[in-house]
Amino acid sequence: MPFHYFGKVSFVPYTKVAEFADYLKNGKLMGTRCKNCREISFPPRADCLSCLSDEFEWFECSGKGRLHTYTIIFAAPTGFDDIAPYSLGVLDLDDGGRLLGWINIPEEEITIGMRLQAVPKIFEEVPEIKLYYSLEKANTT
Amino acid sequence: MKVGVVGIGHGKFGRRSDATVQELACEPFRDALMDAGGISRNDIDFLSVGSSPEYHKQRSLPGVIAEYLGMNPQSTWLTEAACASGSAAIRTAYMAIKSGMHEIVAVIGVQKMTELTTPEILALMGRVGDVQWESIFGTTFPGYYAMYATRHMYEFGTTKEQMAMVAVKNHHYGALNPQAMFQKEVTIERCLSSEKVAYPLNVFDCCANADGAACIIMANEKKAKKLNDTPIWIDGVGSASAQMSVLRRPHFIGIPSTVEASKQAYKQAGIKPEDVQVAEVHDCFTIAELMAYEDLGFCKKGEGGKFIENKQSYIGGKTPVNVDGGLKAKGHPVGATGVSMTAEIVKQLRGQAGKRQVNAEIGLTHNVGGIGQYCFVHIYRR
Amino acid sequence: MEVDILELDDKNALVTGGSVGIGASIAIKLAEDGANVAINYRKHDTEAKAVKKRIEELGRKAVVVKADVTSSADAEKMFSQVIDAFGRVDILVCNAGITRDGVIWKMNEADWDQVIAVNLKGYYIYNKIAARYFKDQRYGKIVNITSINGLRGKFGQTNYSAAKGGEIALTKALAKELGKFNVNVNAVAPGMVMTEMTKSIPPEFLKNAIDETVLGRLATPEDISNVVSFLCSEKARHITGGIIKVDGGQYI
Repeated sequence: MPFHYFGKVSFVPYTKVAEFADYLKNGKLMGTRCKNCREISFPPRADCLSCLSDEFEWFECSGKGRLHTYTIIFAAPTGFDDIAPYSLGVLDLDDGGRLLGWINIPEEEITIGMRLQAVPKIFEEVPEIKLYYSLEKANTT
Repeated sequence: MKVGVVGIGHGKFGRRSDATVQELACEPFRDALMDAGGISRNDIDFLSVGSSPEYHKQRSLPGVIAEYLGMNPQSTWLTEAACASGSAAIRTAYMAIKSGMHEIVAVIGVQKMTELTTPEILALMGRVGDVQWESIFGTTFPGYYAMYATRHMYEFGTTKEQMAMVAVKNHHYGALNPQAMFQKEVTIERCLSSEKVAYPLNVFDCCANADGAACIIMANEKKAKKLNDTPIWIDGVGSASAQMSVLRRPHFIGIPSTVEASKQAYKQAGIKPEDVQVAEVHDCFTIAELMAYEDLGFCKKGEGGKFIENKQSYIGGKTPVNVDGGLKAKGHPVGATGVSMTAEIVKQLRGQAGKRQVNAEIGLTHNVGGIGQYCFVHIYRR
Repeated sequence: MEVDILELDDKNALVTGGSVGIGASIAIKLAEDGANVAINYRKHDTEAKAVKKRIEELGRKAVVVKADVTSSADAEKMFSQVIDAFGRVDILVCNAGITRDGVIWKMNEADWDQVIAVNLKGYYIYNKIAARYFKDQRYGKIVNITSINGLRGKFGQTNYSAAKGGEIALTKALAKELGKFNVNVNAVAPGMVMTEMTKSIPPEFLKNAIDETVLGRLATPEDISNVVSFLCSEKARHITGGIIKVDGGQYI
């Protein structure tokens, strides 16, 4: 799965962590773990930030976490005008690392600290394959 | 060996569709030469240019500027650090002189942004975060700072009114600065009711894209004393970086590179934050100025809102900040801003600031690139 | 001794018009290949029960529903029933169809409307509900039974040809919408098939049909259901938006 299928507008066609997109299409959120020092990274990194080793493995991330901060974009950049306004949230992941994505909850209900879950999704109403994840209310189960 | 600023020049910032990039650069260059005792171009042995290249159709700006200004065959190249390119170019000049390799250096900060449309600029600036994991969801530059604002409001109770007070102050002083893009004062109500950009920021919380240029002439101690009766010395320089991706930052309530860069500058100058008597900080957004008060040590973390509410950053307050209008009223021609800040501080320390004069011996410039990926803090002393 | 795992082991299928003819053959073939099968039918109660019995004899679960395929409400109900009984749906085969032949100048509106409603709209109704389920579970196989008379024009079948041609276009468009969700959508276009329905056709028409084929024979229902089952299997995972003619070369 080409990495440029990831995101509404992609700027990165090639990357050493392109497999992320394959996993995402199959509904899985994956992070990387350094084989040398076991340090994990989300978003994925091919080269360990701690020890610079380039040997890594994938691990499945639950996507669950707490909302650290957010904003609502009204003035949108090129390629995003059709979905404005939209909210962007930063999620502190339970499994480690952070994630930025659209918050799929009404504006008035968004509060910092709320439990959310990043859910892999596919853009439904366009002919092209475009993958993303959105932040949904976490299941209480 | 000290390094001093001996000449300054500042063009009109704003929508300059009347001029090309090199024509813009020539205006303050001419003024700076005259200000430096009528120094000749041949005495300047290096042209340091600060600009962010992605905005211009003209590739490789230093080349075209050096030619237009008649600075061939002297050495020239670009120093780039996003919105901190101006101060980065000053640091390049500082290092060039300190090393002994050059004696008199001209620094030009210049930018033309209005060759692009607003959505194009938004898209371009949105890519100042991580394009692989963030820009794909439509991040924007105001959006990033907005996320800092939301968290700052959550942790410290900072209000939108306090953020608007920054705009009110800066437009007040901008109205007294003929080089500023915006010449009118604003009220808190006007700010709060302005169009939404990225919650919680409205239009008046954001600096404007602008065209403009500024220039300073720097020299080593010996030459500086010959060229100017009041050379303004660069007493401390600090520079630091922070993660490109906000997802990897330690927190969302301040800019870590500001803390680090200012620490270095204070140490070199042998001063503490409260010794700073006039400052130019990077108010790309109102929240940025509030966080700068805290990160530079003018007040405690979280008390930026109170600082402006108590008018401590006005002339007469504890630390007058951005009394030339700041980025907010001047506009933010990306590469020119850092040099504009320095020109203002030099003016202040020389006693040439007229209606906006602060009684000061020690001044500070704080210039941030992007969302804090780069930070340069310089301390100036009369 | 090695036992081959059945191609459709553990899959759950829904077949419209599955009580007689091609539909019944498809339902039984899918069960033979390992799937649980649900069928609907309009009037052939006895035959429908017989199909259910056969499916259960093969060790699979079966659900039989009397339904009007032009009713969305009936369709929703049926899908719910199938989810309740099987847990999920993986395969949809749309087969229910009728003819009301006649030259166009003698074809009244009811004859046109009914053929379009049962054949074309009926496929839209079931394809639509299946698309919802398959999209969310990111897996599905849809096979729409059309006809070579949807590829060519047939004398006396302006209504039927229009509906069958429409089913083909629907299949292609839907394949584009569902591809990214790991759903294959194909059509099978039979020529003349020997069933109870066609047994009543006058012998000279049957002879004409055989003469049209290059193989010199007419299809049995199994000739069709074999291909349908293949399209529902992983062996056909790279076929989508396809129109597979199974007509002995009757129309090339």
